[in-house]
Amino acid sequence: MHSIVASGAALNARTLQRELTGLLPEARTVDGESTLELTTQGNDAPRLMSATVVEGDRLQAFQVAGESGPGFRAFLDGTQKSQVVCFVGSAPVVLGTVAAAVRDRRERRMHTWRTPLIEHNVYVPRAFLSPHAWATLERRLGDTLIDTTDGLPDIISHPYALRDAAFHRVQFRREGVERRLAEQWCADESDALFIDGGISGSEPVAVSSLTVGVVKSHRTLYAEGEALGTVLGLQYRQRSSVFRITSPKRTTVASWYLRIRNPDGHDPMWGLVRAEVAYPGPSRMADLGARADDVSRWILAEASPLALPDGRWDKMVYGVRDCEEFLRAIT
Amino acid sequence: MTAPLGRVVATERRPNTPHEFHFWTALDSPVGIGTIVRVDGRDAVNGVIPHVYGIVTEGFSWTDLATPLHDVMGHDGQPGSQVAVTDRAEIRLYTAAVLRHIPEEPLQPVPMGAVFLADEADVHVALRMDGYLKEGSRTGIPVGVYRAGGTDAPIYLDADFLLGPEAAHLNITGVSGLATKTSAVEWLLQSIFTHFPAQKGSIAAVCFNVKGPDLCFLDQPGVIDDADRALYDQCAVPAEPFSDVRYFAPYKSDGVSLNTLRSNEALLDNVTSLTWGLREVLQYAEVLLNKDDIDAKADALIDFIKENVLDKRFTDPMLDRPHTVASFADLDAWFKDVLRALEKKDDQSWRTHHVATIRKVRNRLSNISLRCKGLVADDGATSDLPFGSFSDRTVYVIDVAGLEEDAQDLVFARVVTKLREHLEKRDLGVQHVVVFVDELNKYAPGDGPETYVRKMLLDIAERGRYLGLVLFAAQQFRSQVHRRVVGNSGTALYGRMDGDELATPGYAVLSPAIKTKLATLEKGQLMVRHPHFTQPIFVRFPRPAVMRGRDGVSQYPQAAAPTLHAAVLRTLRVLDPALTLGWLEDVTRLATDEEILRARNAMVRERPNDVRRAFASHFRASVAPRSATRAPTPAPLPALPSDDPYGF
Repeated sequence: MHSIVASGAALNARTLQRELTGLLPEARTVDGESTLELTTQGNDAPRLMSATVVEGDRLQAFQVAGESGPGFRAFLDGTQKSQVVCFVGSAPVVLGTVAAAVRDRRERRMHTWRTPLIEHNVYVPRAFLSPHAWATLERRLGDTLIDTTDGLPDIISHPYALRDAAFHRVQFRREGVERRLAEQWCADESDALFIDGGISGSEPVAVSSLTVGVVKSHRTLYAEGEALGTVLGLQYRQRSSVFRITSPKRTTVASWYLRIRNPDGHDPMWGLVRAEVAYPGPSRMADLGARADDVSRWILAEASPLALPDGRWDKMVYGVRDCEEFLRAIT
Repeated sequence: MTAPLGRVVATERRPNTPHEFHFWTALDSPVGIGTIVRVDGRDAVNGVIPHVYGIVTEGFSWTDLATPLHDVMGHDGQPGSQVAVTDRAEIRLYTAAVLRHIPEEPLQPVPMGAVFLADEADVHVALRMDGYLKEGSRTGIPVGVYRAGGTDAPIYLDADFLLGPEAAHLNITGVSGLATKTSAVEWLLQSIFTHFPAQKGSIAAVCFNVKGPDLCFLDQPGVIDDADRALYDQCAVPAEPFSDVRYFAPYKSDGVSLNTLRSNEALLDNVTSLTWGLREVLQYAEVLLNKDDIDAKADALIDFIKENVLDKRFTDPMLDRPHTVASFADLDAWFKDVLRALEKKDDQSWRTHHVATIRKVRNRLSNISLRCKGLVADDGATSDLPFGSFSDRTVYVIDVAGLEEDAQDLVFARVVTKLREHLEKRDLGVQHVVVFVDELNKYAPGDGPETYVRKMLLDIAERGRYLGLVLFAAQQFRSQVHRRVVGNSGTALYGRMDGDELATPGYAVLSPAIKTKLATLEKGQLMVRHPHFTQPIFVRFPRPAVMRGRDGVSQYPQAAAPTLHAAVLRTLRVLDPALTLGWLEDVTRLATDEEILRARNAMVRERPNDVRRAFASHFRASVAPRSATRAPTPAPLPALPSDDPYGF
């Protein structure tokens, strides 16, 4: 049995609503609102970015040969849920819950590795709240109260803008708990960890030989022109050449695209994932192709069992779905 | 404290109630259908943490697959394709029926909490056995051992509810051929004889062996293994055959050899013939005569015979001579005389009885001695069970396997009625009698005509517990037995069941999983229902420590049909072991077979002190052969003198 570590007393939307209406007479509760994950997600504009190919001189498709065997011992994923519980004037008060867990595979069965992380926080735009209201909330909520306008001097008072700001704060917190768990793994374990999403957000994680990030969403595609055609034309069990992803705020990683399901009859993104691994030093650069093949085989091995009924099952591996189901059960 | 093996769960669609709850376990937990578990509640009610005991009645398992099609897709339609590297999340969810709440009030839905495997103490509490296993007032009779998940606990029936007076009777159901029904009764009788509470007095058993050699070797040791011995030890029952068994069997139609598979010379010391005369049979004529036979007129004549003719000196001016009717032969002579008188007078009725009725009753009654030949003696001889001197912890086996159905009914009706009469008068010799009847669906069917035997069984089932007359009955199809007979059985045992039988409405209260378990029960397993148990319990019982029928038949083969003299001598030697065949042949040299059998029957009936003289008195004294010798010749007279003047 694992205990849950929360950053404060566990909150639920109805309790919070009841308390806030008592504390702030001007608060207007809302009922039946969808979570912000459903209303806000996917607002980022699609974009294409060029990336430097580090395996050969141009982006090509390679067949991933050989038997696919399991190479990952564990899977890491996080979840978030943000819900508007009331408005104080035009300011939304959002209850956000983030959680992350590593599910460890032993004897083909999934078990929870160490303690999953869960945080409940209340996200409020301080700039649009009266000092009295903020002080009242701060007295009641303490450290769990988060100002969504902190560092955003130009934010407008449009409720949607304030709601998006809250959503992004929750997203940031979720990335934070994921990162903490991944760093614990890298510090204490010696087997490969499958991380749902990129790994470049944390230096220790991004440089570890244990971590493999697998990205399912492709709002940003790291290919343009002919290279884009190559990526979208990948067949089942084909991967692209390895390329380098660099970002001023993130650690450089090596990445490649991989088709884990037959795309015939489907859209170009069907079964397409992008893998991220630590960028090797000059002495290991020659092995990068072989490393990409190994990791691709590991990822292909995870294609069964299917992650159905999740709608993203073509790209999602079962271990990640298991993490999500586990987190859904405990949050 | 042991680790929990599961957790109670409840959802809006699958809520817990005061009588049922759900829990999940690890995939490798030892829980199965029939396992007894304990729930420890989380929150105190009235200051007491509630404990709930339940028995698993249903199990469910599923994975996170939304549809089977997803698995097909995952394997590309190829069942043998590469095995997935991860097993799907899977659940074992069980439904348990509540056995008991502690505290019993307030009765609330089963709380959320941890689920533990019940240990022996828990089993006692769950089944309310703690109430009758207290030292000083212990009335527990072991019926078997509950085994699940490493827990071994003897299960006890309450003697007050098995053998009266609170409730009584036992019914056993199960398919034939698995040695469940008879074996279970043999084991349970042994257990009863061992654990019958002293304060309840004495007990004996009367078993009707209705087929084959099933009950013919109860006093001979059988083959049991270590596992059986362990069960005997756990139940504190000696693994031995019955120490006191007495067998009763009618003769075959020849009247010489006993009609039983236990006829081997080595085993005959406790076998007694079962022979009844007219008096015994006429009391139960209703058993042997069907409704067509006994209309009101015939019934009136039979009553007349019972009241005025039987065992009395009967005279009538019309008849040639006085009659004293004590046997079927006497009765036939009486009938002949009556009919001859009617013919002589050319009359149609005698004492209001029409000649046709007289002829019909004569025909039917005379027929009884033919239909039940071997059991019913023409000459009125009687050899019966020792009513009035029954012994404690003794099994009386009546072997009727070789009899016609009518004769079986007669034996059954008379024996049970006599037992009831003696128990009512408290002079049977024991205070409780267990009557074991197999093939109950034949004797007390749910449909068909009302018979004497069925009425009698209903009477026992409904009133026997007050008398100490307890019915242990077995049948293959419980659904075909009269509802009031099975309904009055406080305790019911179920062996492996037939699927068709389980589909009948009487089993609707059982869950599909319990039915599946019943349909696949191993030998030596039973499901038990008992008034103290709110749910059926599964137990194991050992093989009875008695010789199985077929083993007995091969080890003690039937004796060859004895000669008349050998058979008679065997009977008489029970009364006087010093008798010899030579003596018997001398005494009966001039007698017919019928005369010899009549004399033997008289000995059995009268049991005289001097058997030799009493037996010999039935025969004409034989004259000892002597060789003819010439009579001594008298001395010749002297010749007359020629001058004798008086000579002629």
